[in-house]
Amino acid sequence: MTWPVDSVACSPFMAAIDLSGLLAYNTLIVAAGTAAVGCAAGVVGSLSVLRKRALVGDAAAHVTLVGVATAFALTGRRDLPTLLIGGFVAALAGLLALVLIRRLTRTRDDAATAIVLSVGFGGGIALVAGMTARGIPGSAGLENFLLGHTAALTARDAGMLAGVSVATVAVVMLLLKEATLVAFDRSFAAAAGWPVTVLDYVLVMLVAVMVVVGLPAAGAVLVTALVVIPPVAARQWTDRLGTMLVLAGLIGLVSAVAGVAISAIVPRLATGPVIVLVAAAIFAVSVLAARWRRGREIVRQPA
Amino acid sequence: MTTAAPLVEFHDVTVAYGRRPVLWNIDLTISEPCLFGIVGPNGAGKSTLLKAALGLVPLAGGEVRLFGEPLDRVRRRVGYVPQRETVDWDFPVSVMDVVLMGTYSRVGWLRRPGAAERAVARESLARVGLEDLAGRQIGRLSGGQQQRVFLARALAQQADVYFLDEPMAGVDARSQEQILTVLSGLRELGKLVIVVHHDLRAVTDWFDAVALIDMRLVATGPTRETLTPDNLRRTYAGAVDVLDEVGRAVQRRSRTP
Repeated sequence: MTWPVDSVACSPFMAAIDLSGLLAYNTLIVAAGTAAVGCAAGVVGSLSVLRKRALVGDAAAHVTLVGVATAFALTGRRDLPTLLIGGFVAALAGLLALVLIRRLTRTRDDAATAIVLSVGFGGGIALVAGMTARGIPGSAGLENFLLGHTAALTARDAGMLAGVSVATVAVVMLLLKEATLVAFDRSFAAAAGWPVTVLDYVLVMLVAVMVVVGLPAAGAVLVTALVVIPPVAARQWTDRLGTMLVLAGLIGLVSAVAGVAISAIVPRLATGPVIVLVAAAIFAVSVLAARWRRGREIVRQPA
Repeated sequence: MTTAAPLVEFHDVTVAYGRRPVLWNIDLTISEPCLFGIVGPNGAGKSTLLKAALGLVPLAGGEVRLFGEPLDRVRRRVGYVPQRETVDWDFPVSVMDVVLMGTYSRVGWLRRPGAAERAVARESLARVGLEDLAGRQIGRLSGGQQQRVFLARALAQQADVYFLDEPMAGVDARSQEQILTVLSGLRELGKLVIVVHHDLRAVTDWFDAVALIDMRLVATGPTRETLTPDNLRRTYAGAVDVLDEVGRAVQRRSRTP
């Protein structure tokens, strides 16, 4: 098994570093779609990080692989909507398992999350490897969902991903007041009569949607980074929630576009790792900038 | 407030965390607006009693009524100040943002607070003396200031009954005084203010009435009549050093008329 290998890279057009690939119509469309995904992931992820639920998204992400593989095995189809619906159903099942393990077995949050994450991912890998080994036609493409592989996307796929991303951000914006209240002070919100459990589930669902939509770009292993790193990087620049959402969206967008562009230029490079590395670089710069800023503040106001 | 129903009633309330009971058969009725203290040793279930009143913990038995009604009908008339440590003060919101949260119930789903809500929030901030810090991130406040932000948020709820969980914990003298002034002001406005409080020393100065709690209700009534050495001994059965200190304090007070 050689997961990160880009299967399209074997085509003669991509045999060497090729800048013309960057400007191809399909690459541009895919870059636009992935940009929307990165932006939405940053926005939705901000609330998830503030609610301290970053790891729950990671568990959901890893579990999606089982769903993608199962959807392919059951339907024999490998179009993106079918596979992603499979991934989403698996993510929901994984989240349900998480709740049940916590409620029924007195297992703590972190341990329950680790169980769901590893079991879901292990099951997914086993399914994919099993089907690939038997040479089931089309099953090799499933490996793309491990680390992300945008070159295989069609313009229609990209349009769908962008559409879902926009819809998800719209829901976040509608419920921003309620979600912020619950994330900041759950017991106050509950005492005031807000349905905090429902709102928590809505937020987790939105994260699950973003994780699934981010699969083609970053893959089950790395898509969490798209939901977690941009918000944390954005937080370094501002103390305002609104600004943080905008910055997280921008950082997610830049990371996603950079991922698509660089992996279109460099053969055999999956998108996910590039996205993560770019996001991490922005995060590092943000942390340094924040330290420098705070240092200056202390000098200015010695009180 | 035309009804003659008591403001707050606990009927036979029992609360358990898992199989461990934390409150047993609490019967407590508060009929008059006043400053009411809930006092008892650590682990006595004081905070749990507040949470039971607010519907934040499930009751294993009994019921709570506010204004003679079940809680869900009257939530708008209830204000709440949770313990300060329960939230993340690094959260990217300003003082104003937090106080505005007190108006959210009135604003309702999907809509944003408008000019009227901002005016209420500003006025609440002025009452706790923090109007100058409205734009500051909440992590850049002292503990006492943070506590006053929480109080301002409760004021913005414009409630008739206020529940405060340890509002004086880790608070500087100036904030303490300011909080007390605000609470007395609420009493003058005819509001009921129920305060969970851990420190016995100031209880006689602050509260009109108290409930002594140690998993059960030990005693309740006007502060001076209730804080007897006997009642205190029964409440703080294990904590002898606390008892001695309080006994001396109470004696000192009863000597000065």
